[in-house]
Amino acid sequence: MASGYPLPQQKSKLLLHKGWGSEVTSPSFHVYRSEIILMINKLKNQRLTLGLILRLLLGLAVVIYLGWRIYQTAFGEGTYGPDTWMRFLITGLVIGGMYALIAIGYTLVYGILFMINFAHGEVMMLGTFAGYFVLEAFAAIPAPTVANPDLNFLNAQPVIALVLTFLVGAGFSALMGYMLEKIAYRPLRGAPRLIPLISAIGASIFLQNAAQLLFGPQRRQYLNPDFLWRGTGWMILVGGKEVMLTYTGVFSFVLSILLMIGLFIMVKKTKLGKSMRAVAENKQAAALMGIDVDSVISKTFIISGILAGAAGVMWGLHNGLFNHFVGFLPGIKAFTAAVLGGIGNIPGAMMGGMLLGLLESIGPALLGIDFQLKDVIAFTILILVLIFRPSGLLGEALSEEKV
Amino acid sequence: MKTSLTKGLRSGIVFGIVFIFLMLIGFINVGADMVGDISSASAASGAGGRLPVGDLLIVIAVFGVFCGIAARSKSEEVQWWSALLGGLTAGITAGLLMGVAIWLVGSLSLDGVDFRTYLPSLNPASIQYLTFYSYPQSAGLTYLMYMAIFSVAGAALAWLLSFRDWLAKSWNSCKTGLGGWFEKKDVSRIFSNQWLMIVVFLAAGILLYFLPLAWGSYWNYIMGTVAIYILLGLGLNIIVGYSGQLVLGYVAFFATGAYTFALLTAPTPHGIEMNLWLAVGLSILVSTLTGLLLGLPILNLRGDYLAIVTLGFGEIVRILIRSDLLTSLTNGPKGVTSVGQPNLFGSPFSDVNFMHLLMLLVLIGLFIAKRLKDSNTGRAWIAIREDQTVAQATGINTFKHKILALLLGAAFAGLAGALFASRNQFTGPEDFTLMVSVNVLCIVIVGGMGSLPGVVLGAFVLKGIPELLREMADYRLLVFGALLVVMMIVRPEGLWPARRVRFKRSHADPDRQDAVEVEV
Amino acid sequence: MIAAVQASQVTKCFGGLTAVNTVDLIVPKGSISSIIGPNGAGKTTLFNCVSGFYVPDSGEIQFFGQPISGLATHQISKCGIARTYQNIRLFKEMTAVENVLVGQHHRMRSTWIEAIFHTPRYYQEEQKALEKALELLDFVGLSGLEDTPAYNLPYGAQRRLEIARALASDPALLLLDEPTAGMNPQETDEMTAFIKNLRDTREITILLIEHDMRVVMDISDQITVLDYGMKIAEGKPAEIQSNQRVIEAYLGPGAAALSEKFRRKKTLYAYS
Repeated sequence: MASGYPLPQQKSKLLLHKGWGSEVTSPSFHVYRSEIILMINKLKNQRLTLGLILRLLLGLAVVIYLGWRIYQTAFGEGTYGPDTWMRFLITGLVIGGMYALIAIGYTLVYGILFMINFAHGEVMMLGTFAGYFVLEAFAAIPAPTVANPDLNFLNAQPVIALVLTFLVGAGFSALMGYMLEKIAYRPLRGAPRLIPLISAIGASIFLQNAAQLLFGPQRRQYLNPDFLWRGTGWMILVGGKEVMLTYTGVFSFVLSILLMIGLFIMVKKTKLGKSMRAVAENKQAAALMGIDVDSVISKTFIISGILAGAAGVMWGLHNGLFNHFVGFLPGIKAFTAAVLGGIGNIPGAMMGGMLLGLLESIGPALLGIDFQLKDVIAFTILILVLIFRPSGLLGEALSEEKV
Repeated sequence: MKTSLTKGLRSGIVFGIVFIFLMLIGFINVGADMVGDISSASAASGAGGRLPVGDLLIVIAVFGVFCGIAARSKSEEVQWWSALLGGLTAGITAGLLMGVAIWLVGSLSLDGVDFRTYLPSLNPASIQYLTFYSYPQSAGLTYLMYMAIFSVAGAALAWLLSFRDWLAKSWNSCKTGLGGWFEKKDVSRIFSNQWLMIVVFLAAGILLYFLPLAWGSYWNYIMGTVAIYILLGLGLNIIVGYSGQLVLGYVAFFATGAYTFALLTAPTPHGIEMNLWLAVGLSILVSTLTGLLLGLPILNLRGDYLAIVTLGFGEIVRILIRSDLLTSLTNGPKGVTSVGQPNLFGSPFSDVNFMHLLMLLVLIGLFIAKRLKDSNTGRAWIAIREDQTVAQATGINTFKHKILALLLGAAFAGLAGALFASRNQFTGPEDFTLMVSVNVLCIVIVGGMGSLPGVVLGAFVLKGIPELLREMADYRLLVFGALLVVMMIVRPEGLWPARRVRFKRSHADPDRQDAVEVEV
Repeated sequence: MIAAVQASQVTKCFGGLTAVNTVDLIVPKGSISSIIGPNGAGKTTLFNCVSGFYVPDSGEIQFFGQPISGLATHQISKCGIARTYQNIRLFKEMTAVENVLVGQHHRMRSTWIEAIFHTPRYYQEEQKALEKALELLDFVGLSGLEDTPAYNLPYGAQRRLEIARALASDPALLLLDEPTAGMNPQETDEMTAFIKNLRDTREITILLIEHDMRVVMDISDQITVLDYGMKIAEGKPAEIQSNQRVIEAYLGPGAAALSEKFRRKKTLYAYS
C-alpha cells in the first residue's frame, strides 16, 4: 500500500555559515522563530546528565563569585580612581591589539590545517629579535650633523629606520613560519592529529632554545628611536588626574588596527584570500578547482608570520625588555584569544584578542586579586570558555563531526 | 645529472647553514671536545691552552661525509661520476658558506670586534680555535677543501652502498627497530619455555639486586632519576599512550605528590612529620584528587584544546605554589627542606636501599601497567584512542574510562613525586616547570606510545644519556626539540613500538606457531 | 506486538537545513527493513538519531517501547542496538579478534582492579569472551585472520569484521549502513545471504540503508523511502517499485511515464 505523501518543498537555503568574511544573508523573522522553537525542543529532549548538572553548578559558582568580587570593588573603598581605570583600559587595548595579531595567526593556521601551531609564539619571538638587531644596527651607524655630531642613523632618519625594522621583523618571522611549515608540518600532512601536534611542540622547544643558545638568556632592551621612546607620550586629564597615552602604545594600537583591516580586506577581496577560504573549507575540492593547496598553505603561514612578526616588534618597542622566552606566554594567551573568539573565525580572533587584553588588564583590579595571578586569569578564561562554549563567542567556522 | 647538481646544491646550502648555526651556538666546539674525549690519545689539551685542532678537523670531516651522503639520498640509479659530482657540489657549496663565514668572523675578531654582546657563544678563544689558530683566510680555505673532499667521499660511499643488498636489509631491520630484532632472532621462543623464563627472571633479579651495590653513588643517583622518570613515563603512558589524551600539564600531579609528601614529613613549615609510608599513600591520594579536579571539566575537549588547557593547568599549579597567596601553605619560592627519608623499623635507608626500593616500585609499576593493558579496560582505552565516537557507540563509557586513565596516571605521578622529594631531601617550585612535562612526554612518545619497553627505553635514553654527556647539558633541550620533530617524521610509532598481543589458537593449526607469543 | 523501533515525527535540523523532517518509522520485530532514497535524503541522519549520535530536535524514538532519544550512545548500545558505518570505522591498530572483544565490552563485569590481580572471575570472563569472539569471527568467515591488525585486512573482510563487532554485543537491533558498498556482484550476493542468515538464525531485527536496489528488493520485508528529509513512500518491495513518487525522486520528474515501460521487468535500477 503506497502512502500518498505530499511532495517535499524546496530545500531551505544554507543559513548563517559563519566563517571568514562569508556572505551572510540576514534571516527572516520566521526563520528566527522556527530556530527558537527548535532550540526549545532540543532542550526538552536533552537528558539531565551529571555533566550538565555539574556544568550548571560550576557556571553558577563562577557567576556568583565574579558578581560578588565586582560588587566589592565597585562599592568598596574605591581604591582605584577613574584615572587608574583609564590606564588599565589603555594598557588593555594596546596589548589586546598585539594579542589579536598573534591570534589571527593561530586561527588562520587552524582554519586550514586543523592544527594548533604551537610554535607560533616562537615565530613572534624571532620577529622581536630581528627587529632588535635592525635597530641596534641602525643605532651603530653614525650620521653626524652640524647641530648634533653624535647623531646616529636611527635618530636621523627614524621613520625609515622604523619602517625597515618592521619590514625586517615581519619578514623574518614570515620566513620562519614558512620554514616551520616546510620542515615540521608538511611531511606530516595526513597523519592523525596527535603527531603534528607533538611535532609542533618539538619545533617550539627547538626554536626557543635555539634563540637562547644563539643570543644568550639575558634580557635585552629595545633601542627605540628617540621620538618613540618608551614612557613618553601625550598627557590627558581623566578625573582630574593625568594619564599618559604613550607614543609606543598609540603607535602599536593604530598599527594593529591597520594590519587587521588589511588582513580582513585581503581575505575577503583578493584572489589569495578566496583561495585560502576555499582550502579551509575543503582541501580536495579546492585542489580539484585548480588551486595549488601547498602554495596556499605556505602563504597562510607566511601571512600569519608577518602578523606575528609585526606584533613582536611592537612588543619590543612598547615593553622594552625581552629574551628568548618572550613568545611563550603571549603565544598561549593569543591562542586563548583565538579560542575565545571562535577558532577558525578571523573576526573572532580579532575580537578575542582585544577582549582578552582588556580582561587581563582590568581583571585583577576588578576582581581585587593579586597582579601576580594575571596569567592565571587568561588560563581560567580559556578553561571556562572551553567548558561552557567551546565554539567560542562568534562561533567556530567548522562543521560538526559527521558520522 | 641535473638532479644530482640540484640535490648537491640543496644539500650543500642546508648543511652550510646548519654548520653556521651550530657554530654560532658553540656546538662545534663542544663537538670537538667530545671527539677529544673519545680519542683520548689527544688528551693533552695543554700547551698554552690550545685545544687540539685535529678534533675540529675530524668534526668537519664527518660533517662533510654526511653532507655528501645527503646529496645522494633517495637513491635512483645514477652514474658514478654524476653521484660524485653531486657530492662535490654539495661540498663546495657548504664549504663556501662555511669558509666565508669563518673568514668573516675570524677577520672581524682579529680586528677587535667583540661578538659577545649579541652572540655570547662566540668568544675570542673559540673563534681562534675555529680558525685553527691561524689566519682566517687560510682557515676558510681549509674548510672549503675539507668539505669538498669529504663530501665527495660521502657521496661515493652512499653510491657504493646503494648497490649492496645488505644495506637495504639492515635499513629494514633498523626500521623495525629493536622490537623487530626481537622477533627475527626468534628470541620470542625463549618466552614460550616456562623454565627458561624463570631462570631469566631469577638472573635478572639477582643482577638488579647487586648492581646498586656495585656501581657507586654517582650511578645510583643517575639510575634513581631514570627510575623515577620511568614511573612518570608509565603514568603518562596510561593517559597518552593507552587512552590517547594528550596531557601537557603532567607535572602538576608530580608537583602535588612531591609537595604533599614534603609538607607532611618536613619539620618546617608545618611540623607534621608523619610516618613516611603513610605520607606516600597520602601523596598518591592527593595527586589522584588533583587528577579528578583537572579531569572533570576538561574531559570533552578535543586533542589540541586538551593539550593547551592541561599545559595551562600545569603552569597554574606552579604559579600557585610559589605565589604569595599560598606561601603560608607551601613555603613559597623557598621550597621545603629536610624532607623525610624512608626508613624501615628505625634504620634509615642508604643510597643502595633507596635504589632497591625504586627498582621494586618500578617493577610493580610495570606489572600493573602490563596487566591493565591486556585487560578489558586496556582495550577500551585503546578503542577510545583510536576512535572515540565509535568506541562510545560500541558500549564503552568513554567518560568513565578517560577519568580512570587520568586518575591512574596521576597516581603514578604522585608516587614518583613523593620519591623524588624524599630522595632530593628538598623540593621547590622550580623543580616543576613545563620542561618536566615535556621531558616525560618525550619519554613516552620517543620511546613508543603505549609501549612498556618503549617507556623504559625512553627514560634511559632521554634521562640517562644526558646525565652522562654533561658537556651537552646546555644543548639538551635543543636536541629534545629537534628529536621530537624528527621522530614524528621518521618514526612516529617510537623507538620500541607497542605490539599487539597474539592469542592462542583454540584448534591446533599445523601451519602456525602453537606457542603463545608474548608481546611486550 | 511492540515494534522494535518506533520513531514518531522525528525532525533534525542543522542550522537552516532540515535533514530529517517529521519522519515516522515503524520497524517490526524480527524483520529486515530498509531505508532508501537519493543521496542527501537524510537516511544516515535518521540512522544517527536512532543510534544516538544525534539528538532529534523534535519527535520521539522508542526501542521496544522504551524511549531512547537523547540517551548517550553507550547507553543505547547497552539497550541492545548495534550499528555499522558507511565508511568502515574499525579500530585500525587493533587486531580482528580485539575489535570483536571490544564489542563485548559492556557485557563484561570485572573491573580494572580485578584485571591487575587476575582474579578467577576475570580470567573466566576473558576466556569466555575470547571463545565467543573466535566463534563470531568464524561465523562471519574470518577464521584464520584473528591476529591480523584491522588495517591489514582486505575491504570485504573489514566490512564483515565490523558486523562481527556489532554482533558481539548481542544486539536485538542491528543497523547496517550501506553494507554492500564497494562490493562486486558476487560479494553482494554473499552479503545478502549472510544478512538473511543473520535474521533467521539469531533472530535479530535488521534495519539497513542501501543503494543497491537488487539487494533491497531481495531481502527487505519493508522499505521506507526518504527524499529531502521526508518520507515519501513506505511498504513492501513490490509496491515501492511501482510507486510514481519514488521513481521521480530517483530519476527526476517525467521518469514515471518512462518507467511504465520497465514495469514488466520487475526491477528498478538505481540512478547513477
